[in-house]
Amino acid sequence: MKKIAAVLAAVAVAATLSSCAKRATSTGPVVGVTLLTKAHPFYQQMEKAMKEEAAARNMTLRIQSAETQLGTQNSQVDGFITQKVAAIVICPVDSASIVGAIRRANDAKIPVFTADIAAKGGDVVCHIASDNVAGGRLAGEHMVKLLKGKGEIVVIDYPTVTSVQDRTKGFMEAVGKSQIKVVGRPNGDADRAKSMAAMDNMLQAHPGIKGVFAINDNTALGVLASLSHAKRTDIVVVGYDGDPEAREAILAGSPLKADAVQYPREIGKTTIEMVSRHLSGEKVPANKPVEVGIIDKESLEAEKKQ
Amino acid sequence: MGKPDIGVRNLLVKLLSYGILVFFVLLCLYFDYVTRGLFLSGSNIVNILQQTAINTIIAVGMTFVIISGGIDLSVGSILSLAGVLSTMSLLQVFSRMHQGPAVTAWPLVVAVLVAGMVSMAVGAAAGAFNGFCITRLRVTPFIATLAMMGSARGLSMVFTDAVPISPLPTAFTNVVGGPSILRAIPPLVPLAILVFVVGYVVLTQTDFGRRVYAIGGNQEAARLSGVNVAHTKLGVYTIAGLLAGLSGLMFAARVGAGDPKSGQMFEMDAIAAVVLGGTSLMGGTGSVAGTLLGSLVIGVLAVGLDITDVSTYWQMVIKGGVILLAVVLDQLKVRLGSVGL
Repeated sequence: MKKIAAVLAAVAVAATLSSCAKRATSTGPVVGVTLLTKAHPFYQQMEKAMKEEAAARNMTLRIQSAETQLGTQNSQVDGFITQKVAAIVICPVDSASIVGAIRRANDAKIPVFTADIAAKGGDVVCHIASDNVAGGRLAGEHMVKLLKGKGEIVVIDYPTVTSVQDRTKGFMEAVGKSQIKVVGRPNGDADRAKSMAAMDNMLQAHPGIKGVFAINDNTALGVLASLSHAKRTDIVVVGYDGDPEAREAILAGSPLKADAVQYPREIGKTTIEMVSRHLSGEKVPANKPVEVGIIDKESLEAEKKQ
Repeated sequence: MGKPDIGVRNLLVKLLSYGILVFFVLLCLYFDYVTRGLFLSGSNIVNILQQTAINTIIAVGMTFVIISGGIDLSVGSILSLAGVLSTMSLLQVFSRMHQGPAVTAWPLVVAVLVAGMVSMAVGAAAGAFNGFCITRLRVTPFIATLAMMGSARGLSMVFTDAVPISPLPTAFTNVVGGPSILRAIPPLVPLAILVFVVGYVVLTQTDFGRRVYAIGGNQEAARLSGVNVAHTKLGVYTIAGLLAGLSGLMFAARVGAGDPKSGQMFEMDAIAAVVLGGTSLMGGTGSVAGTLLGSLVIGVLAVGLDITDVSTYWQMVIKGGVILLAVVLDQLKVRLGSVGL
């Protein structure tokens, strides 16, 4: 294993040297980035923003993708260590298993940053990710607006995941300030079919509900299927993520009225900003939450016209 | 301690034989009491039936497999593969026939028939492959179906790139997935009843059914008395696959998408229904009627716990406990010496 890592590192160094030779114009610090994947639009947008921000700050990025393989990500980090990069940005494939690689970078005195997904150990200078509590709060505020501050609603939950716990926490905070009452919080496993069944049950238990908060878009689409079978057009749904199918449903005027959304470009830009500030000796926070937004029919139509 | 009185003992055995039925009735009455009559209202009964239907259809196939002394871990993955491929073919046929503004019922009828055949053919083929591996290649059922569980799931990801096949034509989701019968009942419910009745008849009234019991009871004895073990097993796994495949299309109609991630852990719910219904995992004994009750208990628990707002974590504890309790009672019944439901 070590031998393979060494060979890979050697290849990486050779590749780096040759690419440096080609364009030796950039003088700024070199930052190694290992993404979770390049196949998902979320990461593609994040990568693009990172490159733009790095160019603006005269930094050189070496962006690699682990394609969800922990072994690949480990050798990528080792490669960066051998190259003696100024800083390493990791979007961990797995929060727990990446700790070893982070510790190796710590030993080599290279500062480590994590983006989007946090690590469960090692010394990380700063973690940059979406503020899910704020996202939940936005969804809650939108629900209050839609229902004019009163009525019974349910939350189709998935309580075993931290990011979802943050979302519901923010949501409950926001609706807690109104007359809206949450009368049920069944688990939908963030799965379409389970969420549909949970919604079927809620329609039985609380036929008078006026709204639903779905903790992600799979959940929201399951809720929509349930509402459509039950022919309930009087109930509004607020979802989370802004996946293409959900956007279409919002545009088509379905009960799904709005989605809280993350901004991957903002995550990418902020990450490079944090790295740059740390390298120039500034103090950066250990956690940097990135703003989230909300989309509805109006905002999507405006977006389309552009 | 003296031996219990023979009359008391018989009564106990009788009660335990109908244990799952007694439990089911008590459970319904309890939930109905707590929800003040809401639980056993007409609309909620339909709700329970439609949530139980898919598991019932899969579990009928699983009953055949388990009585024959085997196990099938691949039904959930077969459901997703058949769901994906049948909805793809449905969209193909529908879009080719449904051109121009004139809306007629025909494109839908043809598309549904084609999709139905595709779903059953895919399911039966995957099931037959399981049977082939088990009988000809001598792979144990656990391993053969574990391999299919991975491969079938992988294939549905390959065909879709992990993106659900959607949107499906609303006419399809409304008629096949929605409450289209008497404006209240989705077709899934009568289909599950039909599958149950056919499964019951095949298992109790045909030679094939008797052979399934025979090879589950004692495979060697069955072989020596002239039962074609390989043929019977091939049939059993093909039936399980076919029913899982059919469920795939029905499931997609309900959810409104051919989702390659659907059906995960469905094999566990099906096995739980079979075991709750008193079928022994050792093979040789059991019944489709028991499986239906087992499936209903699981459905009633899921709906009842949601409606009475029991937290997710407690739901997991309770569902696990019920399965354990049922099997313990079943063991007690066997020790007291009964003949089954």
